[in-house]
Amino acid sequence: VPSLQAAGKNSSSNLLGLTEAELKEWFVRGDGPGGQATNKTNNCVVLKHVPSGIVVKCHQTRSVEQNRKIAREILQEKVDLFYKGEDSDVFKEKKALEKKKQEKKRKAKENLERKKQFKEMQQLNKK
Amino acid sequence: MLKPGTGFATMKCFTHPLLRRLLGLSPQSMPGGLSQSKGPILSPKWSSLRQSCSARPGLVTATDAVNYWQKVFETNGIPEARESSEYIVSFVLGAKTFQSLNSKSLHTPLTALQQEQIQQLSNKRLERMPVQYVLGEWDFQDLTLKMRPPVFIPRPETEDLVSLVVEEESWKCEKNSDLCFPVPVPHPVILEIGCGSGAIALNLLCKLPQSQVIAVDKEKTAVDLTRENAHRLQLQDRIHILHHDVSHSSAKQLLLWGPLDFIVSNPPYVFHEDMASLDAEILCYENLDALDGGDDGMRVIKTILALAPSLLKDSGSVFLEVDHRHPDMVENWLQAHPNLLLVLRAIHKDFCGKPRFLHIQKQSR
Repeated sequence: VPSLQAAGKNSSSNLLGLTEAELKEWFVRGDGPGGQATNKTNNCVVLKHVPSGIVVKCHQTRSVEQNRKIAREILQEKVDLFYKGEDSDVFKEKKALEKKKQEKKRKAKENLERKKQFKEMQQLNKK
Repeated sequence: MLKPGTGFATMKCFTHPLLRRLLGLSPQSMPGGLSQSKGPILSPKWSSLRQSCSARPGLVTATDAVNYWQKVFETNGIPEARESSEYIVSFVLGAKTFQSLNSKSLHTPLTALQQEQIQQLSNKRLERMPVQYVLGEWDFQDLTLKMRPPVFIPRPETEDLVSLVVEEESWKCEKNSDLCFPVPVPHPVILEIGCGSGAIALNLLCKLPQSQVIAVDKEKTAVDLTRENAHRLQLQDRIHILHHDVSHSSAKQLLLWGPLDFIVSNPPYVFHEDMASLDAEILCYENLDALDGGDDGMRVIKTILALAPSLLKDSGSVFLEVDHRHPDMVENWLQAHPNLLLVLRAIHKDFCGKPRFLHIQKQSR
């Protein structure tokens, strides 16, 4: 098969690289002749990282090639997380995102409180 | 309200004399194994689906719709019942695949309009229309292209054909960059024979921004569709689309942009004897000339190879998609025609492991 970069878009990042040799791939295509003689639309890709046993299933797009790319990206993240745990960039990014979300929630709550207090003050001043 | 479709057995395509001859049918009989019923067998109406399905009666979610139509398709012997219903429902919700829909979309009740659209599309599928024609579009790598019968639907294997050409071009550039003196930026000229919907040609233009592509097809419907897709993708300025039959017309006009760096093609390569066993989706809706390669499936392949030396630059390449039995046959044929100066450089497998792509190169004198 034409070379498919196993590392995908994250080849320049800190994520552990995956080589094609450690991957096993399945397509739900059936046993038909393939090529022109077939017109099957199932483009689902199942990708396994043999050393860790992690399996990813991808049917995000209507293109086999795109699904293969995306499957490799997702698998690379999962494998990195598996081996590096909290040291993984995947983990750190997730935590950072969660923190941001919580900050947003906290600030929104604070604003609501402040508005409430302001209103109460207004009521007091009226009396 | 469900309306029965026209029924598979009464479809126009099976009355076409050419097709009947191909299938070995007498004027009156119907192909074996096909339903002779008046119309598709339909499950209970939408209205009872609404009552029985989701948590709140009267409301149908995307998941309900997929499950419902999957059952209808299965009952009517429609292949890929689950995939078909998923693609149709996703399309109506504005998504490419069911897996790409978020949880909210999956559980939000469908509007009456959406349900109507799903029904209309599903009725077409019930007539064995390929999903790509039902939706009127399909994806090839990262491009979305309009699809219209009878123009040949690009197969997923062919995505790798594009990658091979791109890889060869970038390898050539690398080779050039190893030289110690500056080389002009290459502007590869690529000819695609049998462009169909324009999938290969337009993808190459996107991936090789410096390239020029000449796309030809002997079918006017294909030329029109390629042109339409080129305009949708704003690539009309870099592609020359010609209504041209390489088997019968002079190749002179193909040299208007100079000798070619690449010829690429997914020519009809099905063995004639295999045509009759193709799925109804293909036989009834796609242009059979885009598939039938003659007795040994090699008719158009041989035409392209015979033509190649007069069109290609020295060291120019031909990339072909073929049947898995063809690599040896092509190699033998090239050896039997040494005057062509073409050599089989490589055989590449498709993602299912079948030998599928040939890289043939023109040797310099």
